[in-house]
Amino acid sequence: MIQMFHVSKIYPKEVVAVSDITLHIQRGEFVFLSGPSGAGKTTLLRLIFRDELPTSGQILVNGRNVVRLRESKLPALRRSIGVIFQDFKLLMDRTVYDNLHLVARVLGVPEAVSRRKIGRLLKEVGLLQKADEIPYKLSGGEQQRVAIARALMSDPAILLADEPTGNLDPDLALDVMRLLIEVNIRGTTVVVATHNRRLVSEMGQRALILKQGRLMEETH
Amino acid sequence: MVWERLRHLLDETLLNFRRGGWGVVASIGAITVAFLVTGTFLLLTLNLGTVVAQWAEDFQVIVFLTDAITPEQVTLLRKRLEGELAVREVTYVSREEALADFRKQIRGQESLLEGLKTNPLPASFQLRIQKQHQTATALGQLAVSLRRMEGVEDVLYGQEWVDRLTSLVQVMKILGIVIGAVLGIASLFIVANTIRLAVYARAQEIEIMRLVGASRSYIQIPLILDGTLQGGLGAALALGMLYVLFRATLWQLGASAPLIFSGAELGRFLDVEYRMGIVGVGALLGAVGSLVAVRRFLRA
Repeated sequence: MIQMFHVSKIYPKEVVAVSDITLHIQRGEFVFLSGPSGAGKTTLLRLIFRDELPTSGQILVNGRNVVRLRESKLPALRRSIGVIFQDFKLLMDRTVYDNLHLVARVLGVPEAVSRRKIGRLLKEVGLLQKADEIPYKLSGGEQQRVAIARALMSDPAILLADEPTGNLDPDLALDVMRLLIEVNIRGTTVVVATHNRRLVSEMGQRALILKQGRLMEETH
Repeated sequence: MVWERLRHLLDETLLNFRRGGWGVVASIGAITVAFLVTGTFLLLTLNLGTVVAQWAEDFQVIVFLTDAITPEQVTLLRKRLEGELAVREVTYVSREEALADFRKQIRGQESLLEGLKTNPLPASFQLRIQKQHQTATALGQLAVSLRRMEGVEDVLYGQEWVDRLTSLVQVMKILGIVIGAVLGIASLFIVANTIRLAVYARAQEIEIMRLVGASRSYIQIPLILDGTLQGGLGAALALGMLYVLFRATLWQLGASAPLIFSGAELGRFLDVEYRMGIVGVGALLGAVGSLVAVRRFLRA
């Protein structure tokens, strides 16, 4: 599903974010991307949904070469990938419902379909009662779940989560992980970037360890 | 699907419009002022141009005759005038016809003539002049020689005035174009700036839309429509104000206007083509302005 071949990303002033990464993530897999802060986890995720282009190397996502993807094909790629951002990227000037509705509009989903879908997703993440709230008034864990629901709006083949448990206490973190595993069980390939090694070992899933931009080891 | 798209376009455009608040008001206001100034020049130039053209056509040389002239002398004079090389056409206007014409020109104010016991107007020959002789000096010479003829009271020719007015119209035309261009470019920047502010205000939303797979045009088109709407609305507003000003001016001129512009068709507002053109140019300015702003932002 996701393949990288000798991928490096060097930012201006010779800042090496990731270096010579080769990896393969199967369809339907659940994979952790682990390592300390600044190891290149976020960069690696952004390379996958082409928010960044690599300095060298090739990246295949769902059979498509992301590096050579034409601008006009970018929306299709982005629609097949759901992303949960570290900072959530929720719009604080509108309701939870409208945050999800924005995606439906971009996708051109008819109104009736989108209403049903938003209702179902909010129910899944346990926030149906908060649909009309402004995200600003929600707790960190609730905001996180709104972000997850939004990422699932497009029924993505791949779900990328950047530190989805970063700001949560351990109980809530486990809730969120359970939610992501459920999504994975229904067939979505899930990649979770986290610096929390304990969480990784508790979950017992495949983990790719990054250190200073290099892939150090794989654990199962 | 198509319906959803159209609805999205409309929603987004109006949303931008509302969120823009005073920025949008200022933007439309600037365009209105720019088009009001340019439109005033256009209107003046067109109307004056019509008047001058009419004058040039109608009143080239008028030969007023003495009241004592006999019909034989009139016939003789006509022959001599028709013999002049510069003269293309000779029309005789009797005293009665002159009064009737005058009555027609001051329609609505005929009471002015009520006190008259006798007809004060002289008979005249109205001469149309060959194109190649239509210069102030040539007509001056002609006038001098005509004045010497028997039965001629006076000779009037307005060529010098026509020449002057023609060049005035030319100057106004050029001035109008220059001022229009400067103000047009200024309003382009103002629209660009307003749209840029709108884009910045929605930067996060736009970023999210891109990340969840919105195409470039999906994001751009509502913003460009927004600018187009601002430009078109500003121009339409200017046109409306121009019309009101125009009507008010005509009303102010009231009685004197028909005399000044006698013969010419006065008080024509801009034709439909011009009106559509003005709104079109306004919309185009708005579209280009917002396109510039949006492109710059989305490339960054």
